[in-house]
Amino acid sequence: MITTELTFGELATLMKQSAGVTVDPSQLEDAPETPFSGLGVDSLGLLGIVGELENRHGVALPTDAERCKTPAEFIALVNNALAGV
Amino acid sequence: MTRRVAVTGIGVVAPGGAGTAAFWDLLAQGRTATRGITLFDPAGLRSRIAAECDFDPYDHGLPVDLIEHTDRYVQFAAVAAGEAVRDSGLDTATEDPWRVGVSLGSAVGGTTRLEHDYVLVSERGQRWDVDHRAADPKLHLAFSPSTLAAVVAERFGARGPVQTVSTGCTSGLDAVGYAFHTIEEGRADVVIAGASDSPISPITMACFDAIKATSPDNDDPEHASKPFDNRRNGFVMGEGAAVLVLEEYEHARARDAHIYCEIGGYATYGNAYHMTGLTGEGLEMARAIDTALDQARLDPTSIDYVNAHGSGTRQNDRHETAAVKRSLGSHAYDTPMSSIKSMVGHSLGAIGAIEVAACVLALKHQVVPPTANYEIPDPECDLDYVPRTARPRKLRNVLSVGSGFGGFQSAVLLTGPGGRTR
Amino acid sequence: MSTQRPGRAVVTGIGVIAPNGLRADAYWKSVREGLGVLGRISREGCEDLPLKVAGQVEGFDASDLIDERFLVQTDRFTHYAMAAAALALDDAGLGHDDDPEEPFSIGVVTAAGSGGGEFGQRELQKLWGQGSKFVGPYQSIAWFYAASTGQISIRHGFKGPCGVVASDEAGGLDSLAHAARAVRRGTGAVVVGAAEAPLAPYSMVCQLGYPELSTVEDPDRAYRPFTAKACGFVPAEGGAMLVVEDEARALDRGATVRATIAGHGATFTGASRWKESREGLARAIRVALDEAGCAPEEIDVVFPDALGVPEADRAEALAIADVLGAHATRVPVTAPKTGYGRAYCGAPVLDVTAAVFAMEHGLVPPTPNVFDIDCDLDVVMSRARPAELRTALVLSRGLMGSNAALVVRRGGGLAR
Repeated sequence: MITTELTFGELATLMKQSAGVTVDPSQLEDAPETPFSGLGVDSLGLLGIVGELENRHGVALPTDAERCKTPAEFIALVNNALAGV
Repeated sequence: MTRRVAVTGIGVVAPGGAGTAAFWDLLAQGRTATRGITLFDPAGLRSRIAAECDFDPYDHGLPVDLIEHTDRYVQFAAVAAGEAVRDSGLDTATEDPWRVGVSLGSAVGGTTRLEHDYVLVSERGQRWDVDHRAADPKLHLAFSPSTLAAVVAERFGARGPVQTVSTGCTSGLDAVGYAFHTIEEGRADVVIAGASDSPISPITMACFDAIKATSPDNDDPEHASKPFDNRRNGFVMGEGAAVLVLEEYEHARARDAHIYCEIGGYATYGNAYHMTGLTGEGLEMARAIDTALDQARLDPTSIDYVNAHGSGTRQNDRHETAAVKRSLGSHAYDTPMSSIKSMVGHSLGAIGAIEVAACVLALKHQVVPPTANYEIPDPECDLDYVPRTARPRKLRNVLSVGSGFGGFQSAVLLTGPGGRTR
Repeated sequence: MSTQRPGRAVVTGIGVIAPNGLRADAYWKSVREGLGVLGRISREGCEDLPLKVAGQVEGFDASDLIDERFLVQTDRFTHYAMAAAALALDDAGLGHDDDPEEPFSIGVVTAAGSGGGEFGQRELQKLWGQGSKFVGPYQSIAWFYAASTGQISIRHGFKGPCGVVASDEAGGLDSLAHAARAVRRGTGAVVVGAAEAPLAPYSMVCQLGYPELSTVEDPDRAYRPFTAKACGFVPAEGGAMLVVEDEARALDRGATVRATIAGHGATFTGASRWKESREGLARAIRVALDEAGCAPEEIDVVFPDALGVPEADRAEALAIADVLGAHATRVPVTAPKTGYGRAYCGAPVLDVTAAVFAMEHGLVPPTPNVFDIDCDLDVVMSRARPAELRTALVLSRGLMGSNAALVVRRGGGLAR
């Protein structure tokens, strides 16, 4: 049994790796409604994060994933999708 | 005192058949040249379709050295330039070579060749410290973007200003625009101008997969490119080249050349917004159109046809519709606007020149090419997109617009016989 | 051309990212002192390639000069161009403005000869090593030649005419001319120039085929144009961005006018046909002088192409003599790039930068590593030479066959 749950910490790591944006995980967790655009993650950055997650888990995420506006929305959607696998 | 710029020759290598005649047949009949990729095995890709050219360089009398050491896009350009120069009747042997220039565009240059040799030197992506011994000793010809213009200049004896333009997907429009300026400003009398790209390669297909910009309609490639249609879901990759002979008007008249039309205006702006994103407003493209109209001293109502960028992505077609409405006002609703990308795909940097060639031919034949596959309207794209069937129409002034990654927004205005002259 | 000139195109800002200096003043200090910084290429994966020596940019801190997220989002050549552009704008005192017309009055033009090769190699490795789904979304905007123009335009909000001359070396001068013409056509200012990053393993493999490339392993002997020991050129990375502006606009806003882009000529004589480049270069010089309304004797200093290939060097010396006549043997000639290499399209833009500083300081910088000249030119060697300099001629030739000449005058029209 592997854990598939995406945490704020992991999202912060992905944001750094796939979009080049440094953000403190606790800041992400404290204000999860701060839009990606406000954090410096553009549409391509989010596509990169989605692609990385898809490769890691070997599943396709719903297209809505790349349209999420905030980390809160994104984490909820991704975890929901991964739980369904 | 302003020098006018005439189009006196056309050459095209496009999907659906090489040569200008085959190209115009395809457009006039509204046929599509999109199909499953055959140039490499596309298994694993999200988009596995493209508009390919059935092109064998050995059929066109190109030197073996050129065939063996240059990329496909250079060969397309050499062939298209040959047709254009023949069509213009220009005798390159008697022209002053220092007054003949070249301006050719390409978005991705020699990437297909570069990828081919990369696979060899890296042992299929296994090593960063690549082994140079496996590479073609003339690989620099794929690496240097100026190979494109240099090869064409060499073949036709051009010794004047020779340049390669690379502004992403507006490269073709901009190469024609730079050539227009070069002649207008008196730096050359003749410029061989156009663009070429051969981007149907794993790396270029994969990078557009990654941003979901290309259509995944792999089961129905003929109908995959659907600009302005509400079912559109991305562009279909294309390849090819178009080259025009541009000539100072009096120079063309003096040798009794056939003049197709004139370049009336050209402008380009940046949207300063996002490398791939577009605003819904089309402000910068509208400004490019306005500036081109200004240069030609034309009123927006004098535009008879708009050849759209019409890539078939959700955002592009709305952006462009907004831009054209902003510039042409209510006249936009009376102006046919079509996208030939529905038929020949989107050949990145080349397509702008291919579209200008289509405009020249539209003026010649007095026929508006259609938007193939257009059936279901998008409420936000509410102009006349010339669905599926070409349409005869009195054409004097036509506009070709383009938009590209990096924010480039360009417009070229052509004026045919009966259009205005400055 | 010279009868009607609606606006004069002047230089109001310079930004440099070069192997011998980050920022323009650091670059000039190295150039003035004739510092040689060519050295072993230290980039990972380049160890076993037969090209060992180059001009490498050292100490570039992206988070300081641009923003660290661009390390992921785009290639090194764009990092350099963005940093140089920001420095040039800072020098010019130009930036964002709330006037909605303002964005359209500033354009961006770059020349590019090597593109985002390092980024591209990384993504090719993912594609072929792991699979197409591992190619990242930024590949679509990082490898292509237009990346730097697009990123600079977006970062600073400039919506004016944006262009890219993808070219061999001479394209660096062509881009400056392109900007000057845009200014004469009514654009207020253009951020223009070139920065390159050709020192990645696969990019280097691609350059090995250039017959003019020097593979000599001693940095002091690898690049010595105009001498009997000439053995080719040494490549470099980096470059410079300039702000080229309408003179009246610059004076209105109280900016310092550093130089005038006075004339340009461009011709083509074919790849590696160096003997023929004599006629092509001479013709480009004549066109540039004519456009500038400049007599040959007015040229106070020449920054030659200085390829370092005997046949090419001879052709260049003859071309200078063909146009300048007897003045060719008296005018000081200098090639500071022998100290830091040829950064492809960036090389002639760095030469223009050196020319502007040289005119401002009344000092012709030396040509490092070059002694025992074997041609009839007065090449300045060993140390800088004081001289009253009002007009400079900068020359460039490309490996694919382009020739270009640019005439640059000190200050602006009102300063003379």
